[in-house]
Amino acid sequence: MLKIENLVTRFGSVIAIDGVSMQAQESKITTVIGANGAGKSTLLRTISGLEHPSSGSITWRGESIIGKRPEDIVRMGIAHVPEGHAVISELSVEENISMGSLFRRRRFKSDVSAAMEEMYELFPRLKERRKQLAGTLSGGERQMLAISRALVSRPQLLLLDEPSLGLAPLVVEQIIDSVNTLCRTTGLSVLLVEQNANTALGVADHGVLLSLGKVVADRPAAELKADAQLRAAYLGY
Amino acid sequence: MNTFLAALSSGTSRGAIFALVALGLVIVWRGAGIVNFAQMGQAMFSTYIASTLITNGSSYWVGFFIALLSGAALGALLDLLVMRPLSNKKKNELLSSESMRAAVPVIASLGILGALQALAGILWAAEERGFPAPAKQEGFRVSGTVLPFTSFDLFVVSLVAITLILTTLFFTKTGIGLAMRATALNQEVAKLSGIRTNRTRTISWAISGAASSLAGLLITPTSNLSPNTLDLVLIVGFTAAVVGGLDSPAGAVLGGFILGMVISFITFYDTPEDVFLAILAVLLFVLIIRPRGILGSKDARRV
Repeated sequence: MLKIENLVTRFGSVIAIDGVSMQAQESKITTVIGANGAGKSTLLRTISGLEHPSSGSITWRGESIIGKRPEDIVRMGIAHVPEGHAVISELSVEENISMGSLFRRRRFKSDVSAAMEEMYELFPRLKERRKQLAGTLSGGERQMLAISRALVSRPQLLLLDEPSLGLAPLVVEQIIDSVNTLCRTTGLSVLLVEQNANTALGVADHGVLLSLGKVVADRPAAELKADAQLRAAYLGY
Repeated sequence: MNTFLAALSSGTSRGAIFALVALGLVIVWRGAGIVNFAQMGQAMFSTYIASTLITNGSSYWVGFFIALLSGAALGALLDLLVMRPLSNKKKNELLSSESMRAAVPVIASLGILGALQALAGILWAAEERGFPAPAKQEGFRVSGTVLPFTSFDLFVVSLVAITLILTTLFFTKTGIGLAMRATALNQEVAKLSGIRTNRTRTISWAISGAASSLAGLLITPTSNLSPNTLDLVLIVGFTAAVVGGLDSPAGAVLGGFILGMVISFITFYDTPEDVFLAILAVLLFVLIIRPRGILGSKDARRV
């Protein structure tokens, strides 16, 4: 459903993404793993329109999305949760969530509140804190909030950037579990970027290993997980 | 006692106007990251439009509302024609460094101010003219004594209060208001949430334009109207915004009233010549004690 071909993204003279070709499959979890600086975040940022590629193509459901603005890409069904628990600390939990569905509030009025209720069911801790400012939340709760904000836009594809960053293992597990359940029950497709390869390959169907902006492996997740050689060479464990 | 009351009432009514000016500056600063020095030029221009309508036989209120609308339209137009093209320039063209990118729109706003003042001079001649007030500028009488508070003061204060309440409700209770706050606080997250940040920025300019036009309409009955009359108001309004915290609407209002009181009490108890010194002293004092302003947030960018 999402097809990337020969994608190149540069920052000045630095090439962050160097000819990447890969796909995200429908209703599956695809994970992109690799060391720090491999270009994982840039890949997601290029898909969601925050960065502009210098060449290559990104096709979403048969349509090119290159050159489209982030606010239009989310309207087409691709929601991006950027790195670092991206919520707005000065807004309340409720405002952060409803922000994600502002663009739907006229045409899908009744669904907007239904979507918010679903988020509160998925992450009950957010419901308890709905009136609190997002800045007062713990790291894990912020990540849940960032994911909720993305999900209320009713995406078909969720781009999730390092949800485990800075969180305790137990919380990571909780969040990954929720996303996994969502994918399996609602058919949501997920493109998960992780430095924590073990966790990511544990839930993913398919894995792409990125190194210095290039794809070095593109295989079923289980196979990738079992390849001791690749792990030692690129992930260092 | 009477001097005290007079200073208090004049401080309240001036403070209300400065609060409005500061609020206009804060809205554009938060929405677009620009200190808009053209703001009172826009207000001057729309007040001239009202003045022209009223002298040609329209009622005060027709002029009043058309001035507010043209203030909003002018604000939106400046964003669409000048600021948006400037901010959309690619990083490698002209605006290479981050500080240049921040400075260019501010310099552009100074240019717009000059252009608007020149244009007003051409259209309406550069001499001072009066501007009508919709209410009497005589003090209220209570059992024979004349109070220093006029019905025009009452008009000013209540209109500003209503405006402040409506703006607060707009920002906190409506979807567009939420979109505007989100854009101001974190543009990237706002965009990823599907908010059309270009559009919300234009709305910020329009609201700020209307607010400052209102300030222009309220201050010119006591100060007369010429292409340059409102320069001083901008300086005080800007000081008020910095004192209150450039990124805080509540701070803008607070700063406006503080400056209004300071100016008024200096005028009544000292001499009007010391007003500038006092403004400067307040500014210095706040910048030394609390550089981000009284209600400014911690990570507010440097001014």
